[in-house]
Amino acid sequence: MSIIIAKHPLALVMLSSTAMTILTTDCLADEPATVDTSQWKCRYCEFESGLSGTLDLGAGYVSDDSFKFGEYNGLDKKGGYLIGNADLRYRGDNARYLNIDATNIGLDSRSLNISGGKQGSYDVSFTYRELPHFISDSAMTPLAGTGSNSLTLPATWVTGAATNTMPQLMNALHQVDLDTKRKRAGLAITLHPATSWHYAVDFHHESKQGTQGTAGTFFLNATQLVRPVDYETNEMNASASFTGRKLQARFIYTGSTFHDNNDALTWQNPYTPLFSATTGQLALPPDNQFHQLLATVGYQLSARTRATADIAVGRMTQDQAFLPFTLNSTLNVSPLPKNSLNGKVNTTDANVRVSSMVTTNLQLNATYTYSDRDNRTPQADYAWVTTDSFVNAPATNLPYSFTRSIWKLRADYQLDAGTHAAFGFDYDNHKRTFQETDTTKENTLWVKIGMQLGHGAELNFNAAHSHRDQSGYAAVAAIIAPENPLLTRFYLANRDRENTGISINIPLGMHAIISAAVDYAGDDYPDSVLGLVKDKDLTYSGDAAIMLGKQTSMHVFVNREEIRSTQNGSQTFSTPDWSGENTNIVNFAGAGIKHTLSNKKFDIGVDYTMMQSRGSTVVDTGLPSAPFPDLTARRDSVKLHGTYHLKANLSLQGGYWYERYHSGNWMLAGITPDTISNVLAFGTLSPVYHVNVFTLSCRYAFKP
Amino acid sequence: MLMLLALMTGMPAMAAMAAMAATDDNATIDASGGNPAAAEYTEKGADTCIRCHDEDSQFPVFSIFKTKHAQVADTRTPFAHLQCETCHGPGADHARHVRPGQTQAYIFAFGQTSKLTTDHHNPATVAAQNQVCLNCHRDNARIDWNASAHQNNHLACVSCHKIHAEHDPVLSTTTQPDVCYTCHKKQRAQFEYPSSHPVSAGQMACSDCHNPHGANSEALLIKPTINQTCYTCHAEKRGPLLWEHAPVTEDCTLCHTPHGSIYTALLKKSPPLLCQQCHSPAGHPAIARTGDDLPGGSGGASAFLLAGSCTNCHSQVHGSNSPSGTLLMR
Repeated sequence: MSIIIAKHPLALVMLSSTAMTILTTDCLADEPATVDTSQWKCRYCEFESGLSGTLDLGAGYVSDDSFKFGEYNGLDKKGGYLIGNADLRYRGDNARYLNIDATNIGLDSRSLNISGGKQGSYDVSFTYRELPHFISDSAMTPLAGTGSNSLTLPATWVTGAATNTMPQLMNALHQVDLDTKRKRAGLAITLHPATSWHYAVDFHHESKQGTQGTAGTFFLNATQLVRPVDYETNEMNASASFTGRKLQARFIYTGSTFHDNNDALTWQNPYTPLFSATTGQLALPPDNQFHQLLATVGYQLSARTRATADIAVGRMTQDQAFLPFTLNSTLNVSPLPKNSLNGKVNTTDANVRVSSMVTTNLQLNATYTYSDRDNRTPQADYAWVTTDSFVNAPATNLPYSFTRSIWKLRADYQLDAGTHAAFGFDYDNHKRTFQETDTTKENTLWVKIGMQLGHGAELNFNAAHSHRDQSGYAAVAAIIAPENPLLTRFYLANRDRENTGISINIPLGMHAIISAAVDYAGDDYPDSVLGLVKDKDLTYSGDAAIMLGKQTSMHVFVNREEIRSTQNGSQTFSTPDWSGENTNIVNFAGAGIKHTLSNKKFDIGVDYTMMQSRGSTVVDTGLPSAPFPDLTARRDSVKLHGTYHLKANLSLQGGYWYERYHSGNWMLAGITPDTISNVLAFGTLSPVYHVNVFTLSCRYAFKP
Repeated sequence: MLMLLALMTGMPAMAAMAAMAATDDNATIDASGGNPAAAEYTEKGADTCIRCHDEDSQFPVFSIFKTKHAQVADTRTPFAHLQCETCHGPGADHARHVRPGQTQAYIFAFGQTSKLTTDHHNPATVAAQNQVCLNCHRDNARIDWNASAHQNNHLACVSCHKIHAEHDPVLSTTTQPDVCYTCHKKQRAQFEYPSSHPVSAGQMACSDCHNPHGANSEALLIKPTINQTCYTCHAEKRGPLLWEHAPVTEDCTLCHTPHGSIYTALLKKSPPLLCQQCHSPAGHPAIARTGDDLPGGSGGASAFLLAGSCTNCHSQVHGSNSPSGTLLMR
């Protein structure tokens, strides 16, 4: 057999086809020596050389302003924009190449990738991309200095005990955009020496700038605030990989540093100050670092058995100088116990997996996973100040640690030519520190069955049952505001989990296919009296695609997800006296058709999608109360696109996109800055838009 | 045809369904029937293949010359070795002229073509197809392919990859999700929900978070843990912080759903009910908030329910490094 393998690459394939295992070999090393390739001239092979690819240039127009429509795509503003895309390749001699890929050059979502080198020897690439996030274009605030780390009230401001008693509020309000933009630039170098080793290093710098919403409070009076975002993140990865016949290995170092150009956000108190608290200060994310070494090894123990193992050892650190307890100089505060946290978390993540084809029909897998977050941050007592208003008894910080061990056993069995079954058992042991439960243990049994029904149709079924037990639940003394002893946090609670799914795919001849699927996931917390007690998720989907001749095709799909959850509460710090139920239903459907005219000069297509969501909330206290309105959203989107081929290397592309969106959110509905007496709110509106986008561009193809 | 249908309809599900169905059918094929040692290579290599597989044929192949595989000067590539037959194996029998009524001899093929062959000695099982690819691509991200979720579900490399295409859709951020949605239809819908990561906007790919070739993490994440994966883009939440919020440090998905939500910021619920799942101390956090607390309600517009609800005051829900951030208010 070994002779056959050495002589013939496909022999190896065929061996593995019966054993379903992987025999690693040096890439293409086993080429048969007896093949006479003297006549293999490849005369008709159209290898690329020189410049090829496409360039798009054109213009687009957006009919209306909408942050929600342009949330990530950059089409947030009414007006024209440049359409510019490039997909260029240059192939030189001796495997040298240069690729330029540019997209959305005229938008805030632009990207550019330039890569080059000598294929098989080295690659160098430069990447630049921008990613906008338009969050809100309807927020209002009386505070000036938005975007900076200091928010101030107008000189004429007159404080009030409540938002509706601030006489200058309406005059001082101004609209402020909440949006951020990421800009990432990166350089990567890969070396492929003519050995089994492969080396790579990449570095990228990302800035994220803009504004986001937050809030600050003085005693019981809150203000929604605009906080600055001015982050710098650097990340470097360096790796060495070895690929051998039986052994593969990879070693990676990852280093990441995060820097926030602002330490804190201060704001002036628009309310009549209590406790002389005139200025508040919120901490902004502190600078931090993360370094990790990861090693992965795969080894072919035998023709039927393979083992892989990896270990990642990392450290997160954070030691930024502390802010003062308060800016309120009238308070008699204790000195800080230390100047900075000296925060340190060691992470260890390891995994070992062995898989073996025990017989022709039976494959067994065993996996062990270990994950540890060892928080070595020192503890200290902090005589903290509540909302810059009064000093509290010292509190001790709780550096949370977690250790998780997971065992998984799996068996796959080919019952007959058309039926495959798999089943397994998982065990998850999760230990925690400084929490109400030290340990949770979860056992899972699962099964999957796949069947061929003939004529290409297939049916798949899966089911799983999990049971989680906790080691006990006891209050943590150091946690301020003790919880009701009947409350069990859901992620620590005893839990029964069910997962079931069934799907079917049916080809209808050679020209159509339909598919349908149902998935159910349900969590029950049988011993939880207060808190989350039930959580269910049911999803249906259906797809169909039809080929109407060689030039026309169409598709249609629907998806519906229903999420229902129940929780209990106690207003009297005793047994449950109210319950809350959430029901979320989301429907998503779409249809499309494509057609190529018989002369192949003109392609046209249209796609329609609809998303409709409804979230209902019912809180039952046993007493009559007003219901909540539904949380609603609906988006209808129609896209028309066509391409007219003027010449072999030149085409005209046109598009029209209409989208409308309506949403309603009772958390925002009717909330103006002075609606809530003790929350000076943004008065943000739920997004509503109707937007038309027209595009027209030319595509020039080099060497089509 | 199913593959073609999938491409034309923009419903990549078709391609994978076809490919997966094809591989399943192969289970009926006697893989031991072929005798590779007896097979012969063509006389003229790729020139022989191209003679039939031009752009008007059922299986056109010319686009491969625009890919990295067709780089003779790179000694690792198929075209630096036995050209088409590096991957497809000896093709002399297949290339022989057949008369009407005769069946074209088998050639090792990938995806749907394997299913359609009438040769019952077809050894092109999923594992066999994948082995051809793994012979060269066993390195780096594919070390953990064995016993990974996709391998266990019998996916072939060509279920997702288009080897002969000028641009393999699964390698592009904008087109990759459609390939994944072939099977992951729930996620296709969730990325259209009112709050989602920017996948449908073409700004994120599934592979920004997941390694489809196998990983030892939950849900094939690119990093060992969920939180480490989230920190790749949200490093500001990495800490460690002085005042940590326990579920935040443990698992971001306890409060957030990663693919899509009807609530802002990908939350699983809106506060106060979100927070009241885990908090019920004496006082305001345990109070049931009803429609009476809406504007115009009998209780008046409530700060505990509206605008930011709990986060009107406890805005530092991801933890705080302020010495006075004990209750996540600074």
